[in-house]
Amino acid sequence: MIQLFQFLARQKVILLFMLLELVNLWAVFKYNAYQHTLYFNTTNQWAASILATTQEVKTYHQLRIVNETLARENALIRTELLRLKSQQQPASKLPYFVSDAMLNRYQALACRVIDQSTQMSQNYLTIDKGRLDGIQPGMAVISSTGVVGKVMSCTDNLSLVVSVLHTSNSVSAKLKRSGELGYIKWPGYQSEVADLMDVSKYKKVVKGDTVVTSDYNAVFPPNIPIGIVAKVGLEKDDTFHDIKVMLFTQFATLQYVYVIKNRLAGQQAKLEATKPKAE
Amino acid sequence: MAVSFNYKWFLAVLFALVIQVLFLRDIAIANVAFCFIYVWFLVKAPMKTNPLLLLLGASAIGWLIDVFYNTHGMHAFACVLVAWLRPVFFRILTPANGYDERSSISLLEMKWLWFFSYLFLMLMSHHLLLFLLEAGDWTLIGYSVLKALASTILGMAVFGMLEFFNRPQ
Repeated sequence: MIQLFQFLARQKVILLFMLLELVNLWAVFKYNAYQHTLYFNTTNQWAASILATTQEVKTYHQLRIVNETLARENALIRTELLRLKSQQQPASKLPYFVSDAMLNRYQALACRVIDQSTQMSQNYLTIDKGRLDGIQPGMAVISSTGVVGKVMSCTDNLSLVVSVLHTSNSVSAKLKRSGELGYIKWPGYQSEVADLMDVSKYKKVVKGDTVVTSDYNAVFPPNIPIGIVAKVGLEKDDTFHDIKVMLFTQFATLQYVYVIKNRLAGQQAKLEATKPKAE
Repeated sequence: MAVSFNYKWFLAVLFALVIQVLFLRDIAIANVAFCFIYVWFLVKAPMKTNPLLLLLGASAIGWLIDVFYNTHGMHAFACVLVAWLRPVFFRILTPANGYDERSSISLLEMKWLWFFSYLFLMLMSHHLLLFLLEAGDWTLIGYSVLKALASTILGMAVFGMLEFFNRPQ
């Protein structure tokens, strides 16, 4: 205690200086109208900017949750969209109605991509939903922009998806404008580009045409976008166009995908299994 | 001797304050040069003045000026700072052969270079702080510095002239 007083006595000049300056400064901001408002404005500004920054950081940390919510909501919207699409009357004069079972055959489920590759020649994705969530091998996987692939195998909580970027995974496709059928096949390099095969060279194909999944697709719902025609070529003694398709799906930055459950897939498979086999 | 000196000193400070408050308050040359003659008491206080006394005096006189200038606390703030910086300025400006024990601060006893350097440091720190505090706005910093500089030059001229009334005893 004595030492404290000794210290205070030794530093009395600077202490008095600081005390007086504090009092004066307080007076400046207390009794001068301009400085008074300045003080309040400034402190408010600082406080506001600090609060805004805090809010921003919080928002950033909530982004994951927000994304998840949005993905789930998108899945619902997609289900509804697919239902409405199948409700559309085809352009025919025949009396046609869609059964409820057909209407509600597709259901979308949002999943998070937890692992994936794009650089291999056979690429796969791992998603965070599995058999317990109703996913089964063979289901279609799409993203918000286009096709992604097909479920290959499931565990209880995870699933492995064969990407479209897989040399032995082909997708039945058609040109949206002309309705020409073909199939999409990835050549094994360049994750943005795939080939559209089997389009006859006598059909007209224009650069910029949209490629979508075909109506006869066993896996994907019809009219899911795949990509656009980027280059149309023709080899001399070839029967088909050599078409390069720019894929819509950005595989490198894929975070959420939608698994499409087809409620009638089992029925269809069973039914088609009864076809007499060609000898 | 000490008593009569303090008596004269007290009258001089009072006189400076009256001049400041009654006449110099409304005078500004070209809107940038202000004359703060009351700082005289800080400039001329004897070198060996008790620093505590100087701080308290600076605060009190600053307050008094503030009351008349309607700038509560600003002059007092600047004065206290300058009073505290005074020993620092003395140290910076120490002549080669040190200070004479009895020396007072005047043009007669100090070299004119020392005297005007000292004046510049004292007035500039006081005015700069005062104008910055008064403006309270960093966008006006250029104007504040200009005002401080102009006022300092005016102050140096005025204090220099006052020295001529200081007759050798």
